Amino acid sequence: MNVTRRDLLKIGTLGGAGVAVGGAIGSSAQEEVPTPPRNAVGMLYDSTKCIGCKSCVVACADANGLQPDTRVDSLHQAPNDLNSFTKNIIKLYKPKYGDGATFAFVKRQCMHCVDPFCVAACPFHALEKDKVTGVVSWTPDKCIGCRYCQLACPYQIPKFDWDSFNAKIVKCEFCKERLAAGKEPACTYVCPPKAVIFGRRDLLLREAHRRIQEHPDKYFENRVYGEREAGGTQVLYLSAVNFDLLGLPHLSSTEHPSNWLRWEERVLKFFALPVGIYVGMVTFLKQNFREHEAEMDEEHKKTGLMPQL
Amino acid sequence: MNSHTQSDLTVVRWQRGVPVFGVPIVNKNFLFLASIAIAGSALVIYREVAGLGAATGLSDGFPWGIWKTFNVMTLTALGSGSFPIGIAAWIFRKRRLHAVMRVTLLISFLVYFTGLLAIAVDVSRPWNVYNLLSVYRWNTISPMWEVLWCMPLYCLFPLFLENTPPVLEQWWYFFPPGRGLVVWLVPIIRKTYPYVVALAYTLPILHQSALGALMLLTGNQVFPLWQTPMLPLLYVWAAAFIGVATTICSVLLCCLTWKRPIDQSIMDELVQLMSWLIFPWLALRLLDIAVRGRFTLMFTGGWLSVIFWLEMLSIFVPAFYLRRQKYRHHPYLLFRNCLLIVAGGMLYRFSPTTFAYRPWRVGIVAYYTPTVIEIIISLSFICTCICLFLIAVKRLPILPAPLQQWYESESYYRNFYPYIQMSGYGKDQHRPSYAD
Repeated sequence: MNVTRRDLLKIGTLGGAGVAVGGAIGSSAQEEVPTPPRNAVGMLYDSTKCIGCKSCVVACADANGLQPDTRVDSLHQAPNDLNSFTKNIIKLYKPKYGDGATFAFVKRQCMHCVDPFCVAACPFHALEKDKVTGVVSWTPDKCIGCRYCQLACPYQIPKFDWDSFNAKIVKCEFCKERLAAGKEPACTYVCPPKAVIFGRRDLLLREAHRRIQEHPDKYFENRVYGEREAGGTQVLYLSAVNFDLLGLPHLSSTEHPSNWLRWEERVLKFFALPVGIYVGMVTFLKQNFREHEAEMDEEHKKTGLMPQL
Repeated sequence: MNSHTQSDLTVVRWQRGVPVFGVPIVNKNFLFLASIAIAGSALVIYREVAGLGAATGLSDGFPWGIWKTFNVMTLTALGSGSFPIGIAAWIFRKRRLHAVMRVTLLISFLVYFTGLLAIAVDVSRPWNVYNLLSVYRWNTISPMWEVLWCMPLYCLFPLFLENTPPVLEQWWYFFPPGRGLVVWLVPIIRKTYPYVVALAYTLPILHQSALGALMLLTGNQVFPLWQTPMLPLLYVWAAAFIGVATTICSVLLCCLTWKRPIDQSIMDELVQLMSWLIFPWLALRLLDIAVRGRFTLMFTGGWLSVIFWLEMLSIFVPAFYLRRQKYRHHPYLLFRNCLLIVAGGMLYRFSPTTFAYRPWRVGIVAYYTPTVIEIIISLSFICTCICLFLIAVKRLPILPAPLQQWYESESYYRNFYPYIQMSGYGKDQHRPSYAD
């Protein structure tokens, strides 16, 4: 096959134009919204009901066999944030003078996103989303410890065991052993005022909207946090104060990983483009290499020195 | 016509890779670099035993430190010179660029090799890397998977094979028992060369863009001046021109250090290749920011705007000046301008991972300052790279030179290394039999 440079440029331009047009068509089409599994489990946390007793923190540590975190205060179990000993925590928002908000508690744990960043990031499916319950859990013998999940998670949830040579990723796994045994997670089980409740995600969503309808002015923006954020999460929040103040970031519904990676998916579809580049390059290289080789051997005959590739 | 005119003698033409001869490998500078490398490897043992928390300044808020963001994501761009130069030489038929191929391939191999070491030290459960071979565990959408597959594959297969010819050549001349092997291997290498080389250009395009895609998944945690769906393309493109600039810098530095002649025509061609890459890149970056409607952030982003302008100007201004012959034909000005381009490009590759990465948080603020241990280990990878480079160029025919220098090196080895006389070096006209 005799291909000239002009042909190469032509092929390259056509291919580039094709990719560009395809991309433009793809991006102008309706954005795909991820959907949770049909029977996805969920939690609904109502910040206005929470009394801050931290029963759930203790129950979580107990159910998951976590060591008490006494690093901040040697007397009490008083972690200041989620960490390698803490999968679940209650935090308090104290209003500043004049910002008009009341104080509020917030329970933080893994949001179990519908389209999780950590699962998209993990190279070997060490973090995986269950196909039935939608629970995101961690498998030790697939994890290489690259900590990409920590970098990618917009909620800063996966925590890393920094002090061990055999380090682990620690995050809420929705008490999956308890779920398998037909029980609900430890935190929802113990909660005295039922501020956090367990159920199917779609039913909980309906319940949240019912509460908003019952008390139209009680909740912030009459909005359920987690319904659409980053494509939706399975843990839902209701709050009287701004979610930003509770440490729940503002994320639009299109900011989910498959949307961020849509270009990679298109370009690498069936690995066609890389293979195409490879085959094209081999074609040109073979032709040019033959000429180079002939020149090299001629040089060798002239000087008597070993040809240099 | 008489070919030996005055101009013919002054114009230098690089014809052949020649080892740097008559210079000892071990000197004061080498010992200094080697001591950092050794100190670093001792500290690596401490890091493996004590864990990442004790050795580094990393925290849950800032999980990636300089081993990944600098040694891998930034420095591998310096080692990417081989693919733009190779594509220009082999596919766009810029034949003269073959002269610097050996240097740039060596730099690529060493930078990628030490980069792989950095990844191995950074990941905290390295024993699970066997998962690369278990197909059912692959998450092919993850950019990390692409990086973890492509980078070792590139470094240990095509790049390694491309670096074998200088070693075989050395065997041919200095190790007579190995000649049989060389005669057997060289025709095989020549047959498979196009296939291997094409792979060596496809793989870096893939994984250099995947390095950019790594930051895509952090979403809006990266400042919008850097975060864009175009990040993979900008990353691989930046790697291309940074690699060319690094090649120019290192060849110039070698020539000036060991007083070797400089082939100006090849330097011109490299600079031309570099500016062909730089100006469209700058335009694409500005266009991308404009299309996303983030134009005002270039002036209102506080110190991140300053970093942005530092990046853009330290790439644009030198590239602009290098269009003039006066700047290209003056070794110092050429070196200085290429060094600025390398610095600006490195800053571009580094910023989105560290300066512009602002994880969303309330109350608890995570700052990252690398610890001394971390910095020494990071430096030790760089020093290992430089030490291996110095050994290689002093023992292998890698740095380009005029043919005359080859004959000088021949007489040098004949006179100063008697054992080479015993091996028959210089007696049989060095005529390899496979080429006849």
